[in-house]
Amino acid sequence: MAVIVAVWREEKHDEMSEAANGTEPQLDLGWMDRTGPWDTRAEPGKYGLTIADISIGEYGEAPEVSDNLTGRPRGAAARPASYRIGAYAVRSKNEIWLDNASFLYEEALQRQWSSATDVPWHTIEPLPDDVEQAECQLATFLTEVEFVAGDVPARWVSLTTPDFYEPRQVLLAQVMDESRHMDVFRKRALANGGGLMQATGATAGFVGSIDLSRDFTEMSSRLHISGEGAVLTLFRMGELMAQNEAEKVIYRLCAQDEARHVAFGVMHLRYMSETAPERREEIHCYLDEAEGGLIGAANPVGQLTPTSESMAIILGGGKEHFDDGMNKIIAIRRRQLQEYRKRVVSAGFGERFENGRSRVAQLIEEAAA
Amino acid sequence: MAVFPSVDWFDEVRNVFNADDRYRGAGGGYCNCVAGLKIADHVFVLTFDGVECSAAAEGDDGTLDDVDFYLDMSAADWRDMVGNIAANGAADLHHTLNTLDLDRADGLAMSRHGDQVREDLFFRYNQTLQFFFDASALVETAFA
Repeated sequence: MAVIVAVWREEKHDEMSEAANGTEPQLDLGWMDRTGPWDTRAEPGKYGLTIADISIGEYGEAPEVSDNLTGRPRGAAARPASYRIGAYAVRSKNEIWLDNASFLYEEALQRQWSSATDVPWHTIEPLPDDVEQAECQLATFLTEVEFVAGDVPARWVSLTTPDFYEPRQVLLAQVMDESRHMDVFRKRALANGGGLMQATGATAGFVGSIDLSRDFTEMSSRLHISGEGAVLTLFRMGELMAQNEAEKVIYRLCAQDEARHVAFGVMHLRYMSETAPERREEIHCYLDEAEGGLIGAANPVGQLTPTSESMAIILGGGKEHFDDGMNKIIAIRRRQLQEYRKRVVSAGFGERFENGRSRVAQLIEEAAA
Repeated sequence: MAVFPSVDWFDEVRNVFNADDRYRGAGGGYCNCVAGLKIADHVFVLTFDGVECSAAAEGDDGTLDDVDFYLDMSAADWRDMVGNIAANGAADLHHTLNTLDLDRADGLAMSRHGDQVREDLFFRYNQTLQFFFDASALVETAFA
């Protein structure tokens, strides 16, 4: 610090001397010469000025492999001798890229909603004790798993080079979505005379294992394809479970967000499959594990757990109609599996349903029996 | 008075929907998809572009090959839904698109291409689609 002060005093002294000599101090405008590509004029399209609109010239070119370890925005001039500021493990484009990332990001921004003001909370009315307890158990479970869905993408954002900013932006929007899902189910648990129930431990099994992924695609296949795909079906079925308009809105809006996240995963797998076919077998292994999660205890319609019992009570309309509710749960399971299969086919890995590798077809038949 | 189902009726709903900013927030907003509607033997196609429903057109059965997804109900079920929206100002708990989808063993929304990413647009834009049909509450309707 003493050195800096000394230098400043010396410079100040020089300036004062210059002023005394009648000369003006000069600005150092060298930074004006250090730019990325210049004369760029992005123009708004019919949807405003979107990320797609500014992906022009070199600014729109994401490298196949990034050597950017300094947090330099893509297209900015490099700063010589700068130190590393990010531990960017994801620096190969096919590890994280997807074709529609900029569109998904703009869509996410446009379709945000507020759990405070867009949910008609005044429509919630007292429920029978067993149904309210079941609602609170389900809300506890969903709050729990949404923590994972928010935490894990956030970690991968920090591990991804800024050169791949489009998928990073989508993941950041996902973190915001999951944050809202966490709070909206917490609010539901506390809004009608109940409260949070015992933590289900759902994050200890398959859901928790998502955070053990060593590779982004491994994480995405577990989180976006298997986990969020299953939760998307649950949220949609939430309209069957809803006892009032507030709950209908909650589930419908959460399902919209979840469908965006699932689209990210499917489109990423499709890109990976097309650009890195040598990794297809590895990805099949991830899907093998992910399918285990679909029938495991972390899925409330996969096995009989406190969460599935609570869902059966809600769907049936009380403890005395538990069996009716379980029948609906089995129908949900069947839809989950059917939609999962179609998404995997869409991602380009449909052969696993033809060559006997996947048990999903058998599980669909069992759910239909 | 517009007759349901007809292009005129959908155009009137589009006018209400496109003019109301409330449909652009609260989970609405950008919506880019082509949705088919199968109403008994009639086929209609709605094009959503940005924050607007930009076109409504009549098609034929082959048109459904190209849409992202289509909603298939009997004429009586469509009338029941539209009538419920008119009576309540918006779909009640039993007549939202998603509930109607769940009430059917094979769902309300389907596709012929089988691409789940495109079929999922029904879920991704569900609130906008609901806003669109809820806007029909402001359209004076006669049934064919």
